[in-house]
Parts: sequence; structure tokens; C-alpha cells
Amino acid sequence: MSAEGIGASVRALRYWERRQEVVANNLANVSTPGFKGERVFARLLDGGPEAASATDPTRGALSRTGRPLDLALEGDGFLVVRTDLGERYLRGGSFTVDAGGTVVTSEGHPLLGENGPLTLPPGEIVVERDGTLLVDGAVIGRLRVEEASAPPLREGANLWEPQGAGLAVAPGDVRMRSGHLEESNVDPVRALVEMIEVQRAYGAVHRSVLAADDVMQTITSEIGRVGG
Amino acid sequence: MDPALHTAASGMRAQQTRVEVISHNLANVSTTAFKRSRAHFEDLLYQTVQSGTTVDGAGASTTPEIQIGRGTRLAGVQRVDVQGPLEQTGRPLDFAIEGDGFFQVQLPDGSLAYTRDGSFTISDQGMLVTGSGYAVVPSVAVPADATGLSVSRNGVVTVSAPGATESIEVARLELARFANAPGLKALGENLYQETQASGTAQVGFPQEQGFGRIVQGSLEASNVEIVQEMVEMITAMRAYEINSKAVQSAEQMAETANNLIR
Repeated sequence: MSAEGIGASVRALRYWERRQEVVANNLANVSTPGFKGERVFARLLDGGPEAASATDPTRGALSRTGRPLDLALEGDGFLVVRTDLGERYLRGGSFTVDAGGTVVTSEGHPLLGENGPLTLPPGEIVVERDGTLLVDGAVIGRLRVEEASAPPLREGANLWEPQGAGLAVAPGDVRMRSGHLEESNVDPVRALVEMIEVQRAYGAVHRSVLAADDVMQTITSEIGRVGG
Repeated sequence: MDPALHTAASGMRAQQTRVEVISHNLANVSTTAFKRSRAHFEDLLYQTVQSGTTVDGAGASTTPEIQIGRGTRLAGVQRVDVQGPLEQTGRPLDFAIEGDGFFQVQLPDGSLAYTRDGSFTISDQGMLVTGSGYAVVPSVAVPADATGLSVSRNGVVTVSAPGATESIEVARLELARFANAPGLKALGENLYQETQASGTAQVGFPQEQGFGRIVQGSLEASNVEIVQEMVEMITAMRAYEINSKAVQSAEQMAETANNLIR
């Protein structure tokens, strides 16, 4: 064991810390609708593991709410909202109507239809399976559903930043569920097990650092004395 | 290890809020015309801890950047304006609205408030008032000698008087509705107030222009379903526990790190 060995162990400690942070975030979002868990894996480089991550794309279970503007996508794809920073994706969520009748997120970002934001008159709202929005039977517009051309980046507030132009999903392929919310896809039990695993691994790496330190100590004190 | 601690703590806070909302719903399981609320969460900002890297020159492969989230936060508490079941009471002064709309009542300061709780009474002045004594708008005056009162589905209030063979129309109830009814501010006493978020009130007669109808002798019950709330309560409690475990685990890892120095 050498100082280089300690360097590798330190990298390993950092890797497990990253993993712990990601698991904590996954667990904190077990009840955030539409949340996609993050998975961390190690890339083995010279001198220790390096963290790399990927989004777990599996779909969360749908839970029934009965509110017509609670929207969930059963298939792939994203709904599109307009924010101050440009268009953003989201997997669905609990939308409301603002004072002007526009369909917005809880943050006030308008949900986009094929012809821009949707403004609703008062009345009974129905969202059909292909994303067509009706009020009292009259068609208001169709919601934009896009598939990302490249993996979008997470932005927080359940939004994703698109990377490159999206591809519109054909109306026949949209599987919109009104009155439902997509639950977080984080499996709490699995995340808990991962957390224990992380903690144990962290402890093991910690002990290897101590062992390396012992060796160094022996080298410096014992051999050093003989030599001197 | 600070980030993981704070992240897990945000999860605990979120679940605590959720339990508060559920408790309020459960407390109002038999409140007339109560609408259940739901806490709504979103993830927090992401931090890019490592930008995309290209490994090797030839046949280079680029790995995506690593973003780590910092937890969750309350995005809002939404009222779920789903119609509650109508319960028959048989009392002639109990009015339920089946469909869209609110009764309008006048507060002591002269401003208007809105309610779906139609358990009215007659005041000493002969006016139709809510259980708390606020006058219904437009006012409904009931003659002192009236022997019966009835309301039609479209809101026409008629009374029968001794001696008269036909019932006399005294008023017609009006309802108000809003572009965004969940945006109304709850005042307590089953009353709501107009806000910027709700939009201005549109007033109309029952059973016209999409307004609901009046059902006499019934009250709208709370739309809280006990089983649903209990299930939510259990999931919230479990999620709270799990996040507390994450706090513990982060704390232990920090302790391990501290022990590196002997």
C-alpha cells in the first residue's frame, strides 16, 4: 500500500458519498408525482471508481384522483409547458386553471397545446385519451405531447430541460390518463437496501484507508528508525 | 455529507406537511360541503456535480453529466373540488347544490363570501341566513305567517300562506361560480372568499348556463373518503420513517469520515 492507494480509497469514499446523496434525493421524492429516480453506478478509472448516473426511466404507478386536470401519460413522452427560460418538459401533474381561464402548473407555467396555451371557459373539463381537451363537449385544443430526441436534463420543480428539438407523438400513440397522477417510480424498500449497502461499503473503504495508514506508519516509524 | 442530510430532512418536512393536510381532511369528514385538500410536491433544483466527460481519444464515448437533486418541497395544497354525496335530511331549509356554483352570503363588513353549505335558517327579521347568521344574497324574505317554504330546482323560492290557495314566489336564489374555484380562499365557517387566483364571480340562476341545481331537503356531505385518507396517512408515515433512516445513515457516514483521523 502506498500514498497512491490512499488516493484511490479517497476517490472511493467520494463515490459512495455521491451515491448516498442520490439515494437521499430519491427517498425525499417518494411522493413527488412524476418523479424519476436516479441510479448511480461506478465507472472504473485508473485510481478508483468515479460516479456516473442515469435516470431510471420506468413508469410510476398511476393513482386515481378524479380531478380532470390531473394528467398522467401512460406511454413515453412529455407534456410541454412554457417558462421564462423557454419550453420545458414534464411527465404530467396536477394542473389548475388560473383566474384568466388558462391551464397552468402549480407554479403558474402555462401548459401548451398544439396552438399555444389553452384557455378554458367555465364548465365541465374532459381530457381524452389522445390529449384532446374539451369543455362541455366543445373542443378547446389538443395537448402537445413530445418525445425527447436526447435525454433531457433535470431542472427541479418536476420540470426537465429539453436537449434539442422534440419529436411530436402521433395522436394515435398518445395515451393520456385524465383524473390520474403518475406516482414517483422510487421503490422505497429498494432505496433503503441501497442505503444500507452504501453505508457498509463506506465503512469498508474507511477501514482500508486506516489499514493503509497503519502500513505507512510502520514504514515511517520502524523502517525509518532502522535506516536512520 | 451535509447535502444528503438536508435532502433527507426536506423529505421528512414534506411528509409532515402531508400528514397535516390529511389530518385536516379527516377532522372534516362530517363537515357539510367540505372539500378535501391534497398536498402536492415537486423536486428541488439540481446541481451538476460533474459535467459530461469524454473517455479516451479514439472511439471516444461521452458520458452524460451527473446531476444530483437536493430533495423535495411543497408545491402547493390544492382543494379537490369534487362534488360530495348528497345526504337527505328532510329539513325544508337545507339546500344542496348538485353541480357547479356557490351560494352568496353577506359578511358583517358588507363584503361577499361564498359557500356550498346550504343549511339555512330564518333570522328574527324573517330573512334566510346561514347557520352562522350571514344573510343570503340576493336576500330572501320569508313572511312571518308563512306556513311552508319550498325551493324549485332552478332556485325559485315560494311560500304558502294561510288562506292563499296558491303559493307565493318570494325570491329566486342566485349562484356564483369562478374560473378557478380551487383558488378561492377558505375563511373557515364553510365560507370562501374571492381572490385574484379564483377570478371574479360570475352570477347566474341555478340550472341555467351550466350552473348546478338546488336540491331541497338535502345537504352536500364532505367529499373526504376515510379509507383513502387513511391509506395516504400510512404511506406518508412510512415515507417519513424512511427519510429519517436516510438522515441516520448520512449521519453515520459523516461519523465514519470523522474517524479517519485518529
